[in-house]
Amino acid sequence: MIEIEKFCLDNGLRVIVHNDNSTPIVSFNLLYDVGSKDENPNRTGFAHLFEHLMFGGSANIPVFDEHLERTGGENNAFTNNDFTNYYITIPKENLETAFWLDSDRMMSLAFSKKSLDVQRNVVVEEFNQRYLNQPYGDVWLLLRPLAYTMHPYGWPTIGKNVDHIKNVTLTDVKEFFYKHYAPNNAILSVTGPVNTKEIMNLSKKWFGEIDKRPIALRNLPKEPKQLESRKLEVERDVPFNSIYKVFHMNSRKHEDFQATDLISDLLSNGKSSRLYQKLVKEHNLFSDINAYITGDIEEGLFVITGRLFKDTTFKIAEMAINNELESIKNTSIDGYELEKVKNKFESNFKFGEANPLDKAMNIAFYELLGNANEINLEVEKYREVSAEKVKAVASKIFTETNCSTLYYKAKSNGSSSAE
Amino acid sequence: MEVHQQNKIFNTQQMLNRKSPPTRQIPNKINITKAEEITLSNGVRLLVIDVGSEDVCRLDFNFFAGSRYQQKRIESRATLAMLTEGTAGLTSHQIAEKFDYYGSFCEHATDRDFGKVTLLSLNKYLDQSLQVLEKVIKRPSFPEKELETYRIKGKQSLIVELEKVTTLARQDFFKGLFGNTHPYGVYAEPQDYLDLQRNHLIDFHHKFITANRCTIVLSGKIGNDELNTVIKHFGESNWGAESTVLVDFPTISTPVQKKFFSLKADAVQSAIRIGRQLVDRKHPDYCGLVVLNTILGGYFGSRLMKNIREDKGYTYGISSSILTLKELCVLVIGTEVGAEFTFPALKEIYAEIDRLKVEPVSEAELDLVRNYLLGELLRSFDGAFAIADSITSLFEYNDLDYHFFEKTIETIKTITPEQLMNLANVYLRSNDLTECVAGPVSNLN
Repeated sequence: MIEIEKFCLDNGLRVIVHNDNSTPIVSFNLLYDVGSKDENPNRTGFAHLFEHLMFGGSANIPVFDEHLERTGGENNAFTNNDFTNYYITIPKENLETAFWLDSDRMMSLAFSKKSLDVQRNVVVEEFNQRYLNQPYGDVWLLLRPLAYTMHPYGWPTIGKNVDHIKNVTLTDVKEFFYKHYAPNNAILSVTGPVNTKEIMNLSKKWFGEIDKRPIALRNLPKEPKQLESRKLEVERDVPFNSIYKVFHMNSRKHEDFQATDLISDLLSNGKSSRLYQKLVKEHNLFSDINAYITGDIEEGLFVITGRLFKDTTFKIAEMAINNELESIKNTSIDGYELEKVKNKFESNFKFGEANPLDKAMNIAFYELLGNANEINLEVEKYREVSAEKVKAVASKIFTETNCSTLYYKAKSNGSSSAE
Repeated sequence: MEVHQQNKIFNTQQMLNRKSPPTRQIPNKINITKAEEITLSNGVRLLVIDVGSEDVCRLDFNFFAGSRYQQKRIESRATLAMLTEGTAGLTSHQIAEKFDYYGSFCEHATDRDFGKVTLLSLNKYLDQSLQVLEKVIKRPSFPEKELETYRIKGKQSLIVELEKVTTLARQDFFKGLFGNTHPYGVYAEPQDYLDLQRNHLIDFHHKFITANRCTIVLSGKIGNDELNTVIKHFGESNWGAESTVLVDFPTISTPVQKKFFSLKADAVQSAIRIGRQLVDRKHPDYCGLVVLNTILGGYFGSRLMKNIREDKGYTYGISSSILTLKELCVLVIGTEVGAEFTFPALKEIYAEIDRLKVEPVSEAELDLVRNYLLGELLRSFDGAFAIADSITSLFEYNDLDYHFFEKTIETIKTITPEQLMNLANVYLRSNDLTECVAGPVSNLN
């Protein structure tokens, strides 16, 4: 049970406090409700590039990191399709520095040209490092547009291509800032040896004078229901063939979400899971196989990825995966197996709560979903999932016409895969 | 008019000063959580760290069983990986079922010096998990069928790893630094997986996964029940061979060849590794070198990051670190840069190294680094598992001497710009550095 106290400033900033005296460090997590899904389809990668620019100095503080490092603090940030998250860990004595720094960059950035020029390059190198210079690195650049024809989940956070990043101007940056960065579009969570009163005082002092900004209501294009099975084949200079299958699933807040997550655990969480035992250990078809959900707030994807052994054809690989999915649809799972994946979830969740910074991030995320306190109900929601529910949800998701399949072929051993 | 003036003054006083930072305090004393140390009746050393609010715990077994002790390549890693693949009375599948059912995670890791087994468990299922873990550690059976799966899986994932420029540069670096037959420089090749023999693993387990080569660390929310459970399974009778195995450790010599290149023609980035052998953690210069390394590339605001990422945009990230091995440390600078920036990046890295030798670091920069490092030290006590890691590393490399932390703090607070410059001149001579590049552009003339 995580004890949570919440309050909201007049300007709309929501603040959540959790006291934890087992650590000398405070975790300070500021989440903005803006992600790559809010981007213009012709200007993708912007939310993430913007996250880099948030470290390029603000109106009153030319250098962000130095002040933090000088107080023994550390920080970083990440962007995903749904939101942008900035976090700081800092010795309790110097907590006010975090408030000073993050409130100033919420108030206004410096909008420095030099920072934009450099960070454009840095992000291009990040694109290279993560997506182009790794074996199988471009998979999500291929899968997303295959699965989504309309919805902004059709591009990855890094952007569709580097040209979008290279063309960003300072005017774009300013526009984006005032459109999305505002107290009324943010959630602050603070955990560690702190109490609500001092956090309230600090929040009012530093964030209180920032004005509310007009935030447009989010109106994302809806992805039309997929009606045909989609397939894509590519050939790359990689050592082994890989297969990827993605299915549309429900949104994070949908009542089927927990059951869907448990299905992915049945298939591949832990060495006793079905895909690993059957397809890796028993039949030796794959060297690696995985099933997981993207966990997005909007309607996300159920993903299955497998790396084939040299003698496995794509046809056999796909048939084997389909057999496992059919089995979940057609045979009710027994109580033991369901209990197992629920226990595993609970354990994972508890270990997440044992890490102070993770705890701060999770609390902010649950507030974004609607209510931070719901974090304490999550285990129970998973516990309530029944065998019938699992079967019903699997039957809804795992259909041929809801699926996009990618054959990622290895150039050098293409011969063994084609037949 | 007058009234207006007064108001203005009043407003100014009320206004927040956003230009200058709030007052800060430097923690002048760091509370170091010490482990409770227990010697069990079978002689095993057990360290207990009871910190935490959640009912979970972590149990680490640290064996002197790293790759330096193996006769054939990957024996150590394979032995640790295969522990959970079958025991007296339990198949691989049954073991996996039991751990998963109780929501436990059993993981293994090997490095040059140590072989480690880690169990994460809910306190309420610790006993059930340990019943399995006890068999896994004491009586593994290494079934041939499971070994065959391990061979082909292992070979395949290594082949994928070897496609990455970072893997190539890292391997060249350690091979170059120690020689490719030395225990600290040797690397597995895909074929080694196929050559693995069951009896080698049995032998390695018999000699090295034993009570007398093991330290156990128990961290989390630990009460008497948890403690007694661990003692029941691992502390009462002796297990494993008793004989102390002496393994030859070849002398470490200074590398002769200093530049290496691996071609990866289609890569869009080059991986770079530059560094050298360094003194061990007990050496009087060690703590000062930690400060020097931090200035150079040890944190986000470091000189390498500022110059090569934040000023030039050649890379997504660059860092310099001190890796700890049992016999010595290694300084390594690592980055991936756009292929077209390979030479400019190399030039800037050496320029930053040279600057440390001729230009005293400013008080402002040093002050920042001092505080950053003290914060890092505090962060290494952020939660039970972080404390367990810090204390484990002490026991491994400094024989559990908490004094090491005090010494580090003392150095961080008092080292002078001149001392740092002297260290740079002794330890960062260009001729002593090994340079490796992997990618489309060669660094060899």
